Amino acid sequence: MGCCYSSETETTEQDRDERKPLIPHPNPDSKPVNGTERNPSNLPSTRTDEQALLTSILTKTALNIIDVSAADSQGMEQHEYMDKARQYSTKLAVLSNTLSQKKPTPLPSLTSQPHQVLASDLVPYSDMQQVSKIAAYAYSAISQIKVDAKEELVVQFAIP
Amino acid sequence: MTTALTQGLERIPDQVGYLVISEDGVLASAGELENDERTAGVIMQMVQTACKFRLHGTADPPFKRLSVMFEDHAYLVTVSGQKVFVVKRQSNQREPINA
Repeated sequence: MGCCYSSETETTEQDRDERKPLIPHPNPDSKPVNGTERNPSNLPSTRTDEQALLTSILTKTALNIIDVSAADSQGMEQHEYMDKARQYSTKLAVLSNTLSQKKPTPLPSLTSQPHQVLASDLVPYSDMQQVSKIAAYAYSAISQIKVDAKEELVVQFAIP
Repeated sequence: MTTALTQGLERIPDQVGYLVISEDGVLASAGELENDERTAGVIMQMVQTACKFRLHGTADPPFKRLSVMFEDHAYLVTVSGQKVFVVKRQSNQREPINA
């Protein structure tokens, strides 16, 4: 099931590779496919309503869970983990190299007429008041961000 | 060379002191900032931090001057030709900034 719409996916080969999860999906057969939820009316007419309903329930469930127990047993082998780790380290090393090259940049020239820039009028009081107000709003907004624990992250499935 | 650098700074209205700093240290200083290595160090760090800010899609820092405002005075900072120019100016803004 679920493969009949795979031609609809617009992701390129590269996209798919970048989004490939580190831990493969434990049960690829139930992998949801783009479009299944969005276009339920496009289901083939040969499929019964019951089947369609079942498919959508399975898809929704698969979207909502991360099966941690299956990750251990059906996940990657030790050497695969090592390969991935090496691959990520290499990418990180490349990125950090470019970062460290940028770090010792000399000071940029902000102006060619420093004396004029320094002699021009001071920042008006109203501007500073506005900046202070915006900063206070931002601080207040940030301080109100919090994580709200609502339900268990890991739940046991009793599959008969 | 030092006089050419500082001549303009001395004519700035309300200035009570200035610093000219290179990456190696203070090149010139006068008034309330004379030999003020500590202020020079603090301002240098502020400039280096401010120069890292970039608006999206631009290569240069989006400002010409850094203003450090106090109730009755202000430090104004700019960078030109690998030198950091700092001027301390009296400010007549009476109302304090609360935040």
